[in-house]
Formats: sequence, C-alpha cells, structure tokens
Amino acid sequence: MHRQLLVIAVLFLATGSAWGQSPPLPDQTEQVRVLLERVGQLEKRVAELEAKQGVSPTPILTAAERTPVQKSESQGTTASPGTAHDQMAQEQAVAQQAEVHYPSLQVRGFADIDFSATDQKGTTSGFNLGQLDLHLASPLSRKISYFGEMTFNAHANGYTVEVERSIIRYDYNDYFKLSFGRYHSPIGYWNTAFHHGAWLQTTIDRPEIVRVGGTFIPVHFVGFLAEGNIPSGGAGLSYSFGLGNGRGEIISRPGDAGDINNNRAWVANIFARPAKLYGLQLGASVYRDKITCQNNPIVPAVPGCRLTNGNDYREWITAAHVVWTKGAPEFLAEFANVNHHQVLTNLVSNSQGLYVQLGYRLPWSEKTLKPYYRFEYLHTPQSEAVLPNLDLVESIAGLRYDISSYAAFKGEYRHASRDILKTPTFNGIVNGLFLQTSFTF
Amino acid sequence: MSATHKRFVAILWTMFWLPTILQVPLAAQTARGADIAVVVHPDTPVDDLSLAEVRRVLLGDRQYWNSKLPVVLLIRAPVARERDVVLRVIYQMTETQFKQFWIAKIFRAEAASQPKIVYSNDMQYELVSAIPGAIAFVDAHNVRPGLKVLRIDGHFPGDHDYPLR
Repeated sequence: MHRQLLVIAVLFLATGSAWGQSPPLPDQTEQVRVLLERVGQLEKRVAELEAKQGVSPTPILTAAERTPVQKSESQGTTASPGTAHDQMAQEQAVAQQAEVHYPSLQVRGFADIDFSATDQKGTTSGFNLGQLDLHLASPLSRKISYFGEMTFNAHANGYTVEVERSIIRYDYNDYFKLSFGRYHSPIGYWNTAFHHGAWLQTTIDRPEIVRVGGTFIPVHFVGFLAEGNIPSGGAGLSYSFGLGNGRGEIISRPGDAGDINNNRAWVANIFARPAKLYGLQLGASVYRDKITCQNNPIVPAVPGCRLTNGNDYREWITAAHVVWTKGAPEFLAEFANVNHHQVLTNLVSNSQGLYVQLGYRLPWSEKTLKPYYRFEYLHTPQSEAVLPNLDLVESIAGLRYDISSYAAFKGEYRHASRDILKTPTFNGIVNGLFLQTSFTF
Repeated sequence: MSATHKRFVAILWTMFWLPTILQVPLAAQTARGADIAVVVHPDTPVDDLSLAEVRRVLLGDRQYWNSKLPVVLLIRAPVARERDVVLRVIYQMTETQFKQFWIAKIFRAEAASQPKIVYSNDMQYELVSAIPGAIAFVDAHNVRPGLKVLRIDGHFPGDHDYPLR
C-alpha cells in the first residue's frame, strides 16, 4: 500500500514538474509585448506629426479644468488613405466594445479528474470523474442579470444532472440588489465563495461542514435574497438577507418543488472588508428554519432525520468566519453551531463544526506553487436528533500547482478520524492520498 | 485535539505568517515610472477618490456611481505598463491571480461581466469618451482633452505623493 502510494506520488510530481518546464506562454507574451511596443511607437509618431502641424501638446487636465466632451484635435487633421483605413478599423473596434447586446450569454465550464487511495478496509483505490459544472451568466439589461449553474455528476449507474443555481437579479444600486431563485445559502464564507468548481478552491474537496450533499448546514436555498453594501466608510460592510423554503424532505436538499411545511426559513449574513486591511474579511451569519422530519424510503442512501417520526424541530444556525485571501498567506477559518430544538419535548442539541485552512503561494516559479494545510473538526452530540453522526477530526496537507492560469494539479495527504467508522476492531482512523487535476474552460 | 496536533498547527502557523511579517514592501523594490492617471467619462459624478475607493471599484465591490449610472471598467491588455501598475498597486495580484479573480467573481454572481479590455491608448480614449460611467487608467503624459482626471487621495498625477506610479 505504502509503496503504491509512493510510486503514485513520485509520478504525479514528476509529471507536474515536466509540464511546468514547458514554455508555452513566453512566446505569446513576447509577441503581445512587441505589438504593444509597435502601437506605442505609432501613437508617438502620430503625436509628433500632429505637433509638426501646429497642434499643441495635450495638457494633463484636472477635475477643476475639465471640459465638455469634444472631438480630439487629431480627428480634425487631414488623413492619408492608409491612416483613414486604420482609423476606420479602430472606430469599428471601439464601436464593438462600446455596444452592449442583451441578452449576452456567457458560458464557463469547470471540471476535475481525481484519484484516491486510502488504507480503509473494504475500499478500492482508483480514478473518478469529479463534477462537470457549467456556469451561465447573462446580463438581460443594464440592471438585470441571470446566473445559472448545472452539474453533471458521475454515479455507479450513470450520471445525474442537477440545477445548482438559477437566479435572476435586479440591481437597484450598490446598496440594494434583489434576486430570486435557487442559490447557495449565504452562511459563512466557503459556501458562497467557491461553489462547485474545484479549480476555484485551493484544496481538492470542500470542508465537511459545507460538503455538497452534506447535512450539517443547508448548502442551497430556494427563495429570494436581498444584498448590498452598507454605507460604512472604511469598514466596508455588506449584508445579505434571504427568505425561502429551507430544508426539504431530504434535509441535505432545499425544497425545490415546494416547502415541506408552512414555515419559511430565513438567513442573514453581514461581513466587513476593511479598506485598510485589503484581503481581510470578517463575517457572521444566522439561519432560522423549522424542520419537519419525514421518512424517506425512496432514497434511503441520503439521510433524512436521524429520528424520522414526524416531529418538528426549530433550527438555529449561527456561523462566523475570518479570512485573509491574498494567497501569501491565505488564511480561512470558519465556525458554525447548529442548534436543534424539538418542539414536542423541548429537547435541545448543539452541534459544532469548524475548519482552519492555511495556504502560502510560494514566491518562486511565478507563484504557481501553493502548499496548504487544513484542520477540520465536527461534533454532533448523542442528543442530536436531526443530523446523523458526523463526528470528525481531520488534518489535510497538500500542494497546489497552477499549470496555467486555467488549470491546476493538487496532491493531498489526509489523516481523518471518523466516529461513524469505529467498530470493535477498527479505530476509525483513515489515511489517504488524493490527487486531482482541475480546470476551467 | 491531541498535543501533537496542536504543536503541528502552531509550527505551521508560524511558518506561514513569518515571511509576511518580515517581507520588505514590494513598492520599494520597483522602479518609479510615469504616473498613471485615473480618467473617467466627463459626466461621471465623482472628482476625488481614495486609493481604497479605487480598489473597491476595480474589485467590483462598487458597481454604480449612482443608481442610474453603472461603472464600466476599462483595463489595458497584458504587458501594457498601465495594466502592470493597476495589478501591482491596486489589485496586488499577478496576471494569473487577476484572471482567476474575475472568473471567480462572475461565478459567485457578484458581477455579470469582466472589465473591458482595451489595446491602445487611442481605443481607451475613444471608449471613455463614448461610454457613460467608464473609468480607465492612462499614462499621465497621454491624457487628452475631454476626459476628467480624478484626484487620488487628494493628489493629481505629477504630485509627489500621487500613489499610482
């Protein structure tokens, strides 16, 4: 097992290094640099010719001295046929850039291919396809935009397609933007910062508290969301407030096709990006819902409530985060407490989850290498009646290598202790090697 | 958490933050060039911005000058000096980080489109003149009549304490 892991790790690193040594970009960059220098020379030449014709050098204008828009003096000069042709081409390019067409659909894809090998008995090592994620963004007017996200997920018996997000947003101004649809619940940081594209995040997987398909916090939300900035000077405060269906019949999912009770869930999030500490974000979130537990014999693999007896539970989720996103270093820390209160018996339980992630973009190799470490902790008490046993203590150490601006290799070692895996003969500790190449297209 | 775990985390914490604390400011390591003027369409209702406010505009955190006038960002194509200064001083990102930042921004539904890319000063001048709400970054020697030059932190290009150079 260890020898296999070692061989795979060496192959991975060797491939990464070899790939990294190929010089695809400098040629293009050099060409662009030469072309821009040429443009600069031509512009300089035009300025010289204008000066010879008696046009005075242009001054630096101040705000106080500003004048109404007027045609450039150079436009008034007589042009030769060649110059006129260039000018026409330039005007066409300018017109194309200035025009905005609605709707203006942009599609971007994300995908990843993974390899995993662990020492957990009964599991096999091997490759698997990660999520194929298609993201759609389409401005419908100056103030209305549509955003959509679909994923294709590999399973043993085929693929499933999931609508992850479908949002229409109306912008009034920076202080008030209103959207309707299915979005990622603004609880904490990770859930709204990285979404489903593995390439966007430093690590291979999301933390357990925001795992896709996980139950600890409701990852998706169907309803409306108001968001915007709060006038706060250098504090850089922003808010979001949402009202929606909350958890569905399967508590890992939102009520896409309708709520399971007449109680709406709400979520509020406030965060600060202080102007003087560029890169820092501090935030806090609150989520409130009423969960009606129901048996779900159709999808037994996806856990519903631990005690499926038709009981109602009040759910309070409180979360806080501190992040420093500049890459050298990168620091992400998030904590969430999930409080469940059984309406019938007043039984209360509190489950806690947190992660702390550190990364550092190394200064050499054009800052393409980023080693990282993440610690995760999750605890659900015995009295918890809604969530399954999620107890976990995990350490992850890994390296991300950006092969290009749009693709990355990642390698991780994980050491996890899961309560649910404990048996009289197994201590629940699993070690594993995980590799991934993720990209956007 | 075990004592070994705690020790491991403490060592990593120190390793990751120490280089930042000891780091010599990058600005001191770069050669000073001509100032980069921040120019806007003449009808834009703003004359003076702090560097932090310019950063909020460029990061897409401020997307409207007022409720009727959206910000239209214009950025020079790679390798132009104006772009280098904007990435180094305002974004504090590499070219790759900048591209990744905007992909992530749109993916988070925080912006509907990336900044418009302009390939020459002439094109930049035409676009700022033509698009209400447009903002661009121009070598101070190439500023032309018809554009409004903003004060940054109370300074115009050419002032001793002007921050964009």
